Amino acid sequence: MAEPIVAGVAESDLGATPDRNWLDNAGIATVRALEDAELTLADVDGVAVAGGDDYMPALVLAEYLDLEEPSLLEGTEIGGSSFENFCGHVGDAMARGRADVVVIAYGSTRKTGPGRDRSLEVTHPTDGFVRPTGLFRPPGAYAMAARRHMHEYGTTEEQLAEIAVSTREWASMNPKAAQRDPITVADVLESRRIAEPFNLLDCCLVSDGGGAVVLVSEEKARELGVPEIAVAGVASTSTHRQDISEMPDMTTTGAAVTGPKAFDEAGISHDDVDIAQLYDSFTYTALVTLEDLGFCEKGEGGEFVTGGTTAPGGELPMNTQGGGLSYCHPGHFGVFVLIEATRQLRGDYTGDRQVGGAEVAVAHGTGGVLSSSSTVVLRREDA
Amino acid sequence: MTGNADESASSATVEDRREEWAGPVPVPSGANTEFWAATLEGDLLYQHCEECGTAQLYPRAVCTGCDAVDPPFEPSEGRGTVYTYTVCHVPGEPGFGDRTPYVVAAVDLAEGPRLLALVDCAPDAIEIGDSLEVRFWQVSDEAALPVFVPA
Repeated sequence: MAEPIVAGVAESDLGATPDRNWLDNAGIATVRALEDAELTLADVDGVAVAGGDDYMPALVLAEYLDLEEPSLLEGTEIGGSSFENFCGHVGDAMARGRADVVVIAYGSTRKTGPGRDRSLEVTHPTDGFVRPTGLFRPPGAYAMAARRHMHEYGTTEEQLAEIAVSTREWASMNPKAAQRDPITVADVLESRRIAEPFNLLDCCLVSDGGGAVVLVSEEKARELGVPEIAVAGVASTSTHRQDISEMPDMTTTGAAVTGPKAFDEAGISHDDVDIAQLYDSFTYTALVTLEDLGFCEKGEGGEFVTGGTTAPGGELPMNTQGGGLSYCHPGHFGVFVLIEATRQLRGDYTGDRQVGGAEVAVAHGTGGVLSSSSTVVLRREDA
Repeated sequence: MTGNADESASSATVEDRREEWAGPVPVPSGANTEFWAATLEGDLLYQHCEECGTAQLYPRAVCTGCDAVDPPFEPSEGRGTVYTYTVCHVPGEPGFGDRTPYVVAAVDLAEGPRLLALVDCAPDAIEIGDSLEVRFWQVSDEAALPVFVPA
């Protein structure tokens, strides 16, 4: 089966963009990603958009970009993993010849934009069982899961902190990363309490920004002569929605289902994986995803990440742009794991920032409150 | 406490907090209407399917075990254990600013369903596996929140 090729990737400006709205950031990321692919808006067959704090975001962005008769309009909202999920839908559409150039886009002003409506009357049928508890979401929900993991497997706050420390090492080499000063495990443990067992440095940043990924058909990729970064495997699932108490087992996420499926579709094993870009909304998110994708045994994530396994020079380079913990996190981080995986496979960087000879990357998105999981295997075909 | 305890022996205390509550208030609808009505009487209901025995919360018009429509409600004993919890140092909702730090737990009811709830206890007075029992805080004319305390 034909596999979509990642022909271009880009971010909008990141950090604080008070003079931009979500559409500006999504639009700027889109044209930059198209430029990266040596394409223009006139070449675009369709858009796939999630987040964006808007009703019917795919229609809104298609209008904003004045796309002419787009054939693919995708807005499936499954939170932070939406963009990995889109890769499967776009691939299916391309395999049937329904599109040749599709932009997966995201934009947000999570940091400087207007806050969400927090009406005290909870009319949603299930939110009435969540919001009146006062749980600080998402951190508190992930914290509850982390607490259960600590209880069952002896995982420690120090081990969770190791992820923040290793990720910051990567961020220190990324000029676009919001936080670049080195930190220690002690710094994480001594940072402000947010929702126990999480401290501030266990939690992702809040930033503005956008990102975009241009997927093209194999035929189009050959025409363009771009490096062939193929979407070789995709799988998505969910375990619950917004209420963490509905998660059947808080120590096992949907990644345990999507990892094997995506690896199988791509025909790879763990030994083939050169880089992991795993959604790190919180330190625990990355830790449990490492386990569920099978990079270590269940319960051994804490040991696995200790000692710089995922840091520069480590056995499994992870979140090499600094992740949601140190680089940016405008709400839906999933588009950024695809961007960084692509850049590493293309060999865009120099020095220690570049993982040498990387041919296979795993990009994993997590959405909701550990609710949705989507795994993408990217492979450099012409390496 | 200004509890107006229900007449039924199995019911829990309902404390009227309508004046002081500044947090979110559930608005009953559909399958959860009966649940919220019962909270005003100090009863914690769950759904217990006659067809397949599935016990579930939050209330739904379908049984997730056997697809039966409108599985009936049963009163829970209101006792459970802590599956996990967090201590919120940052308020997660309007009206919680004066309450920090406060405990929120996922509570496994003796009958099976798991419920997210405030736990009215000191942050260092809770562990996974602890036994809890339910109380209710009435926050509107339509709903009282299940809130747990150490048993």
